[in-house]
Amino acid sequence: MSTSSYFLPGTIDEAVSLAKAHPNDHVFYAGGTDIQLHVKQRLIKPNTIIDLTAIESLKSVSIQKKNMKLGTMVTLDQIVKNPDIQKFYPILAEAAKSIATPVIRKSATLGGNLKVSNRCSFYNQSFDWRQSVGSCLKDTGDICQVTGGLNHCYSRNVSDLVPALIALNARIMVQTSTGINEMPLIDLYVPDGLIVHTPLGVGGIITEIFTSDEPSKWWFKKLRLRKSLDFTSLTVAATVNKKDVLRVCVNGVSMAPVLVETGINDVTLEGLILQVKRACKTVDNDYMPLKYRREMISAFITDCWNTFH
Amino acid sequence: MQKVKLHINGFTRTLLVNAHETLLDTLRERLNLTGTKRGCDQGSCGSCTVLLDGTPVLSCITPTIRCDGRKILTIEGIGVNGHLHPVQERLASDGGLQCGFCTPGVVMTAVPFLQENPDATDDDIKEALSGNLCRCTGYKKIIEAVRHAAEDLRHG
Repeated sequence: MSTSSYFLPGTIDEAVSLAKAHPNDHVFYAGGTDIQLHVKQRLIKPNTIIDLTAIESLKSVSIQKKNMKLGTMVTLDQIVKNPDIQKFYPILAEAAKSIATPVIRKSATLGGNLKVSNRCSFYNQSFDWRQSVGSCLKDTGDICQVTGGLNHCYSRNVSDLVPALIALNARIMVQTSTGINEMPLIDLYVPDGLIVHTPLGVGGIITEIFTSDEPSKWWFKKLRLRKSLDFTSLTVAATVNKKDVLRVCVNGVSMAPVLVETGINDVTLEGLILQVKRACKTVDNDYMPLKYRREMISAFITDCWNTFH
Repeated sequence: MQKVKLHINGFTRTLLVNAHETLLDTLRERLNLTGTKRGCDQGSCGSCTVLLDGTPVLSCITPTIRCDGRKILTIEGIGVNGHLHPVQERLASDGGLQCGFCTPGVVMTAVPFLQENPDATDDDIKEALSGNLCRCTGYKKIIEAVRHAAEDLRHG
């Protein structure tokens, strides 16, 4: 394994400066639970590691008058156990609890989950496995092993916090070398399995996630083969706020999370399912069969709909 | 390469490490602490669990460079004064192990869990150990042994 430079900045400014100084070959280490796997499987070879664990300002949790602000280095375990999050934003606590195992949740972070790499059954495999089957577009190959196409990668976004936060209408703060920007969380995601995340600018770091959209109703469910091990095959998170706006976010079945936002009385169940399915580009790149996953989208949304009505 | 100082089981070791070297490699290959097991080597099976400043971590996906100056406790250091920890005692006496490969990870997950949750129910224990895969026992005996260990710890 090649040698890399390792940095442990104490402030966000320092981290941004380091990233700016190494523009094309750095990775930010948060919990490291995802990146370390990619390094082991020789999917990435970071030359510069910028470890964010010493930056205390990224670890803050603030919930005041239902305004929630979370630093990106808050661990999933902290989200699960925080009594204010359980009280005001239970959908977020439920989503965090659905991720991985209790031990991994003590290391894995909110920021890491927002930027978790997309998954595909032909990409997230050992180096030897990929060598034997043939490399894909997302790796070093020139063809998608799922579709046979030459241009598009359909790897799935598998974050579970993201649909919950998008259903909560969350926004993020991004610090770059030129300043601080705010944007809706959903704008972070690009429906392209090769790009995955919107470039954040030179040295850009997501510093904070915030929302004040406390829901009056919420619903969250995740489909996977084994409860404690697997990334999602389908996650649906939905909220209804006090103005009767329904926000349904579906993840795990497309290259980016899919959001449908509508008045709860302005749509039918059939119309809602149709809107979601039209927006999802689901292909056969998970161990659960494609037909089953497509049917489960309808089943989950029907279950959600019945709960809200 | 970077110099790190590790406080392992009460001893201090200073090493030069590569940025990608994992704590599991350091423990097993360089310090001969082979009680920590290499199972899946990708953060899924829990066999390599150790305590880092008292918190369980999977050593196969923990870079050693991140452990500089921190306290590491492995299965070799979990006993007290030459005696097995009550969790180890119960796993042995109650049939909570067969081949024993997953046992160090189970112990290193269960010990901090019982410190935080002394009155844990069977469901709590199942959830806590959900990241520790065992291919022999079917888990029932492990859950029982950890529950009995919790009772032993409560009653001193």
